[in-house]
Amino acid sequence: MITQVPNPILEVHDLTVSYDQQPVLWNVDLSLPAGQLIGILGPNGAGKSTLIKSIMGLIPPTSGYIKIFNKALQEVRTRISYVPQRESVDWNFPASVLDVVVMGTYGKLGLFRRPGKKEVQIAQEALEQVGMTAFVTRQISELSGGQQQRVFIARALAQQADLYLMDEPFAGVDMATETAIFQLLQDMARTGKTVLVVHHDIHSAMNFFEWVIMLNLHLVASGPKDQVMTEELLRKTYGGKLNLLTQVTDLIRKQDFNPLKS
Amino acid sequence: MEDFLYFFTFQDPSITWVVLGIMLLGIGSAYVGTFSFLDKKALLGDAISHAVLPGICLGFVLAGEKDPRYIVTGAFLSGALATFLSSWLKQHTKLSEDSITASILSVFFGIGIVALTAIQKSGNPEVAGLNSFIFGNAIGIAEADLFLYGGLSMAILLVLSLFLKEFRLMVFDPGFGKAIGFPMKGIRFVFNVLLILAVVIGIQAIGVVLMAALLITPGAAARFWTDRLQPLLLLAAFFSILSGILGTYVSFVLPQMPTGPWVVVFLSLIALLSFIFSPKSGIIRRFLARRNYLRKTHKDHLMKALFKAKEAHKERLTLEEIHALYPFHKKEITHSLQELTTQGLVLQDSQGIRLSTQGNSDAMRIVRLHRLWELYLNESMNIAPDHVHESAEQMEHLLTPELEAQLEQRLNYPTLDPHQETIPRDTP
Repeated sequence: MITQVPNPILEVHDLTVSYDQQPVLWNVDLSLPAGQLIGILGPNGAGKSTLIKSIMGLIPPTSGYIKIFNKALQEVRTRISYVPQRESVDWNFPASVLDVVVMGTYGKLGLFRRPGKKEVQIAQEALEQVGMTAFVTRQISELSGGQQQRVFIARALAQQADLYLMDEPFAGVDMATETAIFQLLQDMARTGKTVLVVHHDIHSAMNFFEWVIMLNLHLVASGPKDQVMTEELLRKTYGGKLNLLTQVTDLIRKQDFNPLKS
Repeated sequence: MEDFLYFFTFQDPSITWVVLGIMLLGIGSAYVGTFSFLDKKALLGDAISHAVLPGICLGFVLAGEKDPRYIVTGAFLSGALATFLSSWLKQHTKLSEDSITASILSVFFGIGIVALTAIQKSGNPEVAGLNSFIFGNAIGIAEADLFLYGGLSMAILLVLSLFLKEFRLMVFDPGFGKAIGFPMKGIRFVFNVLLILAVVIGIQAIGVVLMAALLITPGAAARFWTDRLQPLLLLAAFFSILSGILGTYVSFVLPQMPTGPWVVVFLSLIALLSFIFSPKSGIIRRFLARRNYLRKTHKDHLMKALFKAKEAHKERLTLEEIHALYPFHKKEITHSLQELTTQGLVLQDSQGIRLSTQGNSDAMRIVRLHRLWELYLNESMNIAPDHVHESAEQMEHLLTPELEAQLEQRLNYPTLDPHQETIPRDTP
C-alpha cells in the first residue's frame, strides 16, 4: 500500500542504505505531499532513524537517490530543519538553553559569522513557541528529558525551514508535553510546513498524523493515515522479524565487499 | 626574596620575554585543550605531545644544531603523522580508540628516545640543549625563539576566535553541524592542526612528556567553576598563565629545575583546590550540604516528638524523655534543642520542653508530610501500610510546599493516614 503523489516535496527513489556493508534499508521508494504532519512508524531497528539520516545526507546511500523540493540536498539545505535524537549529544556541555537554540541559526549565518541580535531574537521566539521562555539562561544539564527535547525542537524552529525532520522527538516526554508539541507541529503543517516525525507510539500516531510511513527494513506502507493504518499493514510492520531478509542481510555482511553498492 | 623581586619586577628584559612567551603559550594551549577536554579527546593531546619527539630529533639532525625553525617543523610533521595515523587506524581497523591512542603514544615516543640517545652518542657539542625538550626549560628559550613560539600562539588564538562557533558545534553536536551543511571534517582538520601547533609551541617550555597536562588540566579545573563556554575558556587561560609564570619562576630560582614539572605541580594544585572549593560540586560544598541536612533531620525529629506528645495530650516532654526516643543521637538532639530555642520554635521552662505557636505549626507540617506520603504510597503505589513508614521518615524532611500541595490535591485533602492517624492541619 504505497501512495505516490504528484509534485512531491520529498522523493526517495529506490534507496538502499548499509552500515558497514550491512543493509538496514532495502529499496525504499516513496514520495510525500507538502504541508502535512507525517509519521514514520516501525519496530526497533526497522531503519526509521536511518531513513531520516539519509535524507539529511548524514549517511551516504548504497544506491538510489533523494530529491527535496525537486532538487539535490545541497541546494536546499537551509530550507530543511533537523532534530537529532536527544541522546546523540552530551548534555553536560557548558551551554545555556539560548546557546543551543541559537545554533539553529548557524546554517543561514554560514561559516565564521557570529550570531547577533537578530539571531538571538529568532531563538527567543522559537523558545516561546515551545513554552520554554522561563529557561532561557538555564544550563542545559539541569533540564529534564522533556525540556531537553523541547530545546531541540526550538533549535529546529530557529532554523526557519519548510521541511522538518525529527528523530524520536517524543522519547522521554510526558503525555502533556507530547500533546502540546503535537499541536504545535499540527499548526506548523497548517501554515504549509511539512513535518516528518519518527515515532513509536501507534496510539498517538492515530490521533495526530495525517500521513504515515511504515518501515520494517523495507517500506511496508506510505499513504494517508486512514488508508494505511489497517490491522493487516500494522501486523506486517510490527509482526516479528522478516526471517528471510535478515538471513540475506547476514550473508551480505559476511562478504568481503558490498555487492549492493552501485 | 631578592630573587622574587628581581623576577617579578621584570628588570631583566629576558625574563619579561620569557614570561610573555609563557603567557601566550598558556592561553593558546588552554583554549585548544579546553575544547579537546570537552570533546572527551584528552588522550589524543597526550599522544601527540609524546609523538613529536622523533620530529624534534629529525629537525636537529637536519639542521645540525638547535635551530627552532627546523625543530618546530619536524615536531609539527611528526605530530601530524601521529594524528593522521590514529584516525586512519580508527577507520580501517576494529581497534578501540584508547588502544590506538596508547599504541601511537608509546611507538612514537619509543622511536624518539632511541633517536635522542643516538644523537647524544654522536658527540655533537650542540646536543646539550636537546634534553630540555623532554621536561622543558622555559629559561633556556632564546629571544629569537620567542618570536616563533609567540607568533604561533597568536596564530592559534586568532584561528580559534574565528572558529569559535564552529568548534562549539563540532564538540556539542557534529551531526547537526553536518546536517546544516557545515564542512565538519574540514573543521575537525583545522582543530587538529591547532592541537598539534599548541603542543609544538609548548615543547621548549614544558617538554613533550608533560605538555598534555597544560592542555587538559586548565579546562578541567575551570569546569568546576562555570557552566558557560566563554567564562570557561577565560578561566582556563588564567589558570594556565598563573601556573606557567609560577613554574618559570621556580626554574629560574633553582637553576637545575626543569620548568614543565613545576608548571604541572602548580596546575595540579589549582585543580585540587577547584575540586575542594568549587561552589557547585566541590567536596566542601557537598560536606556542608550533608551536614545541614542531617542537622535539619535532628531538629525535625525533636519537633515531631513534641508534637506527637501533644497529640497524646502531653503538653511537655523532658529532655530525658526525648533522648529515650532517639537513644543514638543524644548529642545532636541536645544541640538541636539549643538551636530551636534560639529560633523561638521551642520553649523551655522548669516543667520541661514544649512547642511555641510557630513551632507547633512547623512540627505539624512535618507530621503532615509524613502521613500524606504514607497515604500516597499506600493508595497510589499499592504499598502495604506496614511498609510505608521507612520511606516517609526520609520524605518528611525533603518534600517541598509545591509537592505538598500536589499530594493534598491528589489525595483529596484526606483526614486519616493508612495507620488511621489524623493528618493534622492548621485550622484557619
